[in-house]
Amino acid sequence: MASRRVPYVLQSLSLRKRSFRNFQCLYSSRKASTFNGMTELSEDVDPLSSMQTPGPSEEHRASFDPIARSRRRKTPLPSSRYKFRSPKYYRGPLHPHQPPPATDPDSREFIPGPFSLPRLQQTYHSTVAPDLLTLMYKHHPPGTLPGPSEPRLRSWDGSSPYHKNRPLRGPRGGPTLLLLRRPITFRNIPRLEKIHVHSFLKEAGSEAAHLQVAGMIMQAITNVRATVFRAKHTIANFNLRKGSPCSVGVELRGEDMYNFLAKVTEVVMPRIKEYKGVRGKSGDSSGDIAWRFGSETVGTFPEIEINYDAYPPKMIPEIHIIVCTTATNDKDARLLLSSMGVPFHGKHVN
Amino acid sequence: MSLSTPLRRACLPSSSIPQTQCRHATLIRRPKRPYTFTQLVTLSDGSTYTHRTTSPAPVYVSTKDTRNTLLWNPSSQKMLNIEADEAGKLRAFREKFGRGWDAARMEEKDEEDGMEGGAEGGREPEEKEDNLMDLISGYGLEAEAKGEAKGVRQEKEKSGKRKGGQR
Repeated sequence: MASRRVPYVLQSLSLRKRSFRNFQCLYSSRKASTFNGMTELSEDVDPLSSMQTPGPSEEHRASFDPIARSRRRKTPLPSSRYKFRSPKYYRGPLHPHQPPPATDPDSREFIPGPFSLPRLQQTYHSTVAPDLLTLMYKHHPPGTLPGPSEPRLRSWDGSSPYHKNRPLRGPRGGPTLLLLRRPITFRNIPRLEKIHVHSFLKEAGSEAAHLQVAGMIMQAITNVRATVFRAKHTIANFNLRKGSPCSVGVELRGEDMYNFLAKVTEVVMPRIKEYKGVRGKSGDSSGDIAWRFGSETVGTFPEIEINYDAYPPKMIPEIHIIVCTTATNDKDARLLLSSMGVPFHGKHVN
Repeated sequence: MSLSTPLRRACLPSSSIPQTQCRHATLIRRPKRPYTFTQLVTLSDGSTYTHRTTSPAPVYVSTKDTRNTLLWNPSSQKMLNIEADEAGKLRAFREKFGRGWDAARMEEKDEEDGMEGGAEGGREPEEKEDNLMDLISGYGLEAEAKGEAKGVRQEKEKSGKRKGGQR
């Protein structure tokens, strides 16, 4: 039955398309038959129906050409909805027109991206992270608990009567406690957090051109506009006056970070003459590893090398690269970086 | 005079403090982002990958990278044996002024290569062949009787001598 009905509906549709008038007649007759019983409604209801009005005339139909009309239009139509426009100036927290946060695409400070998945990032997620988890994972059989951890603060030995009721002693070697190393699970595998590229310029105080060149080079090698840092204090030995620009730096995160580290390890480091690797002592004992590239090495970056003549050779700065990882100690950070291709040499200090 | 001077001093700081509250507008700057291009990096072993860079060159061909550096390939015998003679100067010197200190090694090499030009290029297939020969002879030693392996072992010794300390 259903299969038969469908063609009937289609027929009626085609009929409506073909002869509009015919269908109107059909419809009106049926309506008349249905409304015959309800006489009270007829006064309230408008007898005229849109179905009964004649269709568009031939002239109107000929003149109707929306595409040509939109082409003739010079200015765009006003948008139909209210669009928020971020203020150009921030006028304080009490102003009614507040700028949206920088993560909002409407914000003036919004930076779109990421636009690609860098090769090193793919390698990390597919290869490095599982390997690191395998190396760092410490298994406790179900039902057993890890033993009590060592106390972080030392107690007094009690050799003096004055030791009574004293607060515990701080750690050996300094007043700060080191970061705790939590058990590594699939949730907290060490990963790269950010990379700082930094360059202190001794000559920046006397000649501003050093600052310009360093900024250009920094932008070329990292894909990010460099920030100029000013001296916090006056130091006579370094020719620093408080407030004078003294260094340029860049903070890399995400896509740029992976691109930069891949470039450094794949192309730049192998080209250093008699390179042994990053010193094993490097690190701030909380998972951040840093190293230095001399000005001759900075000159071998592919972006600098391609137009080396654009930069005054004496002004090419030396740079410091600080890789911040989410590892909480240097040993794990070094393992992460060496799996990403950074070589280490010498005694490893954790 | 003595009265007026302290009065003035008392007035000066009060005039410097602003009387009405004022909050200047701060310009919200748009972040500056350099234009980046997609670049195809070709490493020395022919592997390629793309990355975003400010350099407008579409292809970067590297001659020296992790694939042909000893530090990243510590187990590679090929890279250990490479003589640091990138410009061919040592070779040119040897050809011009004869051979003293490495005469024995050069003669051996001549025997091997048959006065061939490229040192590394000539050596590579030879090395592979040697390894294969070792493999075959070793296999023969294990599988077959010891009487037959005599000749094979001699050949193996000879190859080791020619290489000048392969291991």
